[in-house]
Amino acid sequence: MEEWEYHPPPDIDASMAETLRNFPREPKMLPYTIRSLASLLLRGWMRTYHRMQIDGREHLPEAGSYILVCNHTSHLDTLCMMCAVPLGKIHRTFPAAAADYFFSSLPRSAISAILINALPFNREAKGAESLAVCAKLLENEGNILIIFPEGTRTTTGDMGRFRSGIGRLVAGTDLTVLPCHLEGGLRAWPKGKVLPRPRKLHLRIGAAQTYGHLEKKAQSVRAICGDLEERVGGLGRQGE
Amino acid sequence: MSINQALQSDIFLTYVAIVAGLLIFAGAVLGILYLLGKDVSAPARTYRGWLVMIPLVLGTIFLGREATIIGVALLAVIGFKEFARATGLYNDWWMTGAVYLALGMLTVVALVPDPRLAQPGWYGFFMALPVFVIAAILLIPILRNRAKGQLQIVSLAILGFIYFGWMFMHLGFLANTPHAYGYLLFLAFAVEINDIAAYTFGKMFGKRKLRDEISPNKTLAGSVGAVAVSMSLPWLLWFSFPHFDPLHLILTGIIVGVGGQLGDLVISYIKRDIGIKDMGTTIKGHGGILDRVDSMIFVAPIFFHMIRWFHGVAL
Repeated sequence: MEEWEYHPPPDIDASMAETLRNFPREPKMLPYTIRSLASLLLRGWMRTYHRMQIDGREHLPEAGSYILVCNHTSHLDTLCMMCAVPLGKIHRTFPAAAADYFFSSLPRSAISAILINALPFNREAKGAESLAVCAKLLENEGNILIIFPEGTRTTTGDMGRFRSGIGRLVAGTDLTVLPCHLEGGLRAWPKGKVLPRPRKLHLRIGAAQTYGHLEKKAQSVRAICGDLEERVGGLGRQGE
Repeated sequence: MSINQALQSDIFLTYVAIVAGLLIFAGAVLGILYLLGKDVSAPARTYRGWLVMIPLVLGTIFLGREATIIGVALLAVIGFKEFARATGLYNDWWMTGAVYLALGMLTVVALVPDPRLAQPGWYGFFMALPVFVIAAILLIPILRNRAKGQLQIVSLAILGFIYFGWMFMHLGFLANTPHAYGYLLFLAFAVEINDIAAYTFGKMFGKRKLRDEISPNKTLAGSVGAVAVSMSLPWLLWFSFPHFDPLHLILTGIIVGVGGQLGDLVISYIKRDIGIKDMGTTIKGHGGILDRVDSMIFVAPIFFHMIRWFHGVAL
């Protein structure tokens, strides 16, 4: 008789905190169910409370992996971007979230990992390692990565400079990047306020870009960041 | 079972006093050892685990019949999940979902009254449910039009439901009986004491391994000591079931003493075959839920059918 093969998960000895912080995550039934229900509720809430409007959905590729790049004004940005992707892809959509903030305690890790499906990103020390995790994620077909290249939420409303990570990630690869701009996030949920206010949110999704023609050099990284900054800003100016 | 009955039940209150006394005693011993400069970090972790588990168990039984059945069902669900994850069955969401659904049915059947016998817990359906669940599990590969690897998945799902679900849920069904407090509290208490006795006797006198291919830590001396302790417990705690004859007490002692260790060994060889150390990390200092309730899975259904044999379906 042929021997049975067992496949215990690699994180079987991990504690709950470790399981939540580990990435990539194991598919699990309970978190998937909770996330699906939460995403439905989120969509309803964004459409009614924030009168969310999304333009340019037709730019989202049907197949393949891609990156959504957006300006960062509030926590609502992530939630709004999650509403922009098709509901069926919600478990394969990973907003990159600052590990030092979103995975700093057990309750925060639980919300980030289960509800948001966040990718723990190290902003400071191990940035290169986190970028490698992102690159690995995008190698698999059908994953969506959400990145806020400013690295932090704006307090003034002006968009900050894009940090080099996004450029280093896509330079010389065939990865697809979609610039996006969210308007109204700062008014709806400024940094420091406990709850969001019922202000309108308007998300614009731009056309897909690739940077395969540029080499992996510091110069092209700066060029990519500049180009994306320009495109995100341009989408923002459409509303004025 | 209800909160009012728990407050008036001498059996419940006596067990609360016994367990509280033992916890305080064990805490004091640990404290003294710590002051003497001994390393007590490992037993302290286990002790902290008990400090969480014991109030949870007593609190659930205190809340009454429904809470107890649902509590046992939750343990069965978590236990099955650990088993499914360890074996890799968890990767098949259809099969895992079917077993979860079956466990839900089992809980409902244990909660609702029997339409014929007019007593809490639908005994007939509870005993017949495995027939339907096994049939449903066997149907899933047909519905999905799949053959490759299905024998393993189906077998694991059936074992998972029958052993970790149905057999274990007999413990929850005991909550439907008129002597629920005595039965449940005695079993919970005796099974744990049996475990501790096996460990302690093994540490003190253990030389020969009980089953060296299955578990390196279990010794013959520990096993014999545990059976001896378990045989004496029903007599010491006779107040739990005053209607028992000496024959019933002897049988109860054997069921707990032998059955408890067998349950332990079953989980041990499952883990050995898979190649893992613990079933999970649910309880700090104890491992997974299955590492804690493994003994009960053997004891609960056999004890259940022993009393059913002597005292009828109304138990």
